Amino acid sequence: MKSLIIALGTLIVLGGCANQTPVATSCNIDVSNKLVSAIHEVEERLASGCAYHFDAYFQQLMKVAEENAAPENKQLFSEHLVRVSDAGLINKRQAKALYNRYFNVKFVSFTGDYNTCSQACPVHSEVVSNMRHELKDKERGLMHASLDQGSYYRADHLLKEAQLVLEATCRACANGDQN
Amino acid sequence: MSLLPNPQSVIACAILLFASTAFASPSGPVVRLFPTTVLEDIRETSQVAEEMENNLQEIIHRLDMQREMHQESLCQGADSDQGCARIAKQLGDTYLEMLNAMSERLPEMERAVTNTRQSLEKRLRSELGHRTTPTTLQNSLLGEAASTVSTTKPELRGRSGVRLSNRFKQYYNLVAAHREGPAKSLAVVAADIYLDMEEAAQLIAATQEEIGRATLMGQLNQSFGAITPEMANVVEGVKEILFGESSEIIAIPSSPTLASQTEYVSPLDM
Repeated sequence: MKSLIIALGTLIVLGGCANQTPVATSCNIDVSNKLVSAIHEVEERLASGCAYHFDAYFQQLMKVAEENAAPENKQLFSEHLVRVSDAGLINKRQAKALYNRYFNVKFVSFTGDYNTCSQACPVHSEVVSNMRHELKDKERGLMHASLDQGSYYRADHLLKEAQLVLEATCRACANGDQN
Repeated sequence: MSLLPNPQSVIACAILLFASTAFASPSGPVVRLFPTTVLEDIRETSQVAEEMENNLQEIIHRLDMQREMHQESLCQGADSDQGCARIAKQLGDTYLEMLNAMSERLPEMERAVTNTRQSLEKRLRSELGHRTTPTTLQNSLLGEAASTVSTTKPELRGRSGVRLSNRFKQYYNLVAAHREGPAKSLAVVAADIYLDMEEAAQLIAATQEEIGRATLMGQLNQSFGAITPEMANVVEGVKEILFGESSEIIAIPSSPTLASQTEYVSPLDM
C-alpha cells in the first residue's frame, strides 16, 4: 500500500512537469563568439525559464557584436528583439526602446507627447544628462557593433543641437512664466 | 430683423477661418520662428553693433598695447616707480575712454538687443515651447529625411571668432535665404541668436554698472592704478562679444562625409 502511494505520487509529479516550460539547468551561459549562434543560444535559454536574465544576455550579445562588428548586426538585433517581444518575454515598448537606444540616431530619452515647456523643461538637465548616457550606448551599437559611423556622428550632432535648442527654449519658457 | 447671424453663415465663417489658418503659412515653423519683424530686429542689431565696433576698435587696441607695456615693464606691484605710474594712469584714462565710448552707444545697443531678444523669446516659447513636443522637436532637428546629411546647415555655431555685427549679418542672410526652406537648422539659429542676446544683455548691464563705478571713482578723484581684475574682465567681455575674440570656442563637429549605405530600416525604428 505504501509503495503504491509513492508510485502514484511520483507519476503525478512527473505528469505535472511534462506540461511546464523546460527549465534550463543553469541560466549562466558562455555565448558563442558568433553573433547569430549567440542569439540562438540566448533565445533558447530565454525560452527555458531564464527570462529574468534578459538584460544580462543582451549585454553579452552586445559584447559579441562589438567583437564581431558588421553592418548586419543592427538587423540581427532588431530581429532578435522582435522575436523576443513576440514570445512575450519583453513587451513591444521595451523592445523598441532598447533597439532605438543602441541602433537609432534618434534619442529615446528625448521623446514625449506633451509640449516641451511642460514636459522637458522642468527636467531639462536630466534630459540632457540622459541623452549623454544614451549617446554612449549609441557609440557601442552604431559605431562599434554596426560600423555605422555616419549615424553615430549624426546622433552626436543631434545631441548638441538639442542641447542648444532646449537651453534657449526652456529659458524662453521660464521667462514667460515670470511675466 | 435679427442681428444674430444665422447658423449657416456661422458654419461658413468657421470653415473659412479654419481654411485660412490652415493654409496661412505654407513654410510652417520657419516663418513662424522668423517673421519679418524678427528679421528686421536682427538687421538693426547688426547695424548698431557695427557702429559700436567701429567706435571701440581703436580704443581697445590702444588699451591692449598699454596693458602689454605694463606687463613687459614688470610694473605689477611697482607702484612707486614713476614710469609705471605714468603707464598705469594712461591705462586708466584709456579704460575710461572705452567706457565713455560705450556709454554713448549702449542705450541704442541695449534697445536693439532687447527687441531682438524679446521677439525671439516669444517665438521660441510659442513655436518650440508650446507647439512642439520633445518628439516633434527631435524630428524637426533631425529633418524629415533623417538619412541624408543636409548641406544647408548653418556654418556658425555658438560664439566663436566672429564679430558681433558680422555674426548678425550672417544670421540675417541665413534666415532670409532659408525662410522658405527646411525648418531644421533654423530652430538652432533661433536658439543661438537668443542665447547670444542674453549674453549681450548681461554684458551691457555689467558695463553700465562698471561705468557707474568708474564715474564715481573719477568723481572721488582717485587713480585707478594698474588695471584691476574687474576692469580686465570688462575689457575681455567687450572683446569677446563685439569682436568674437573668445578663449572658449564651442564648436559642433560636422559629420564626416561618409557614403550613406542603403540603411537598414527596423520595424522597431522610432
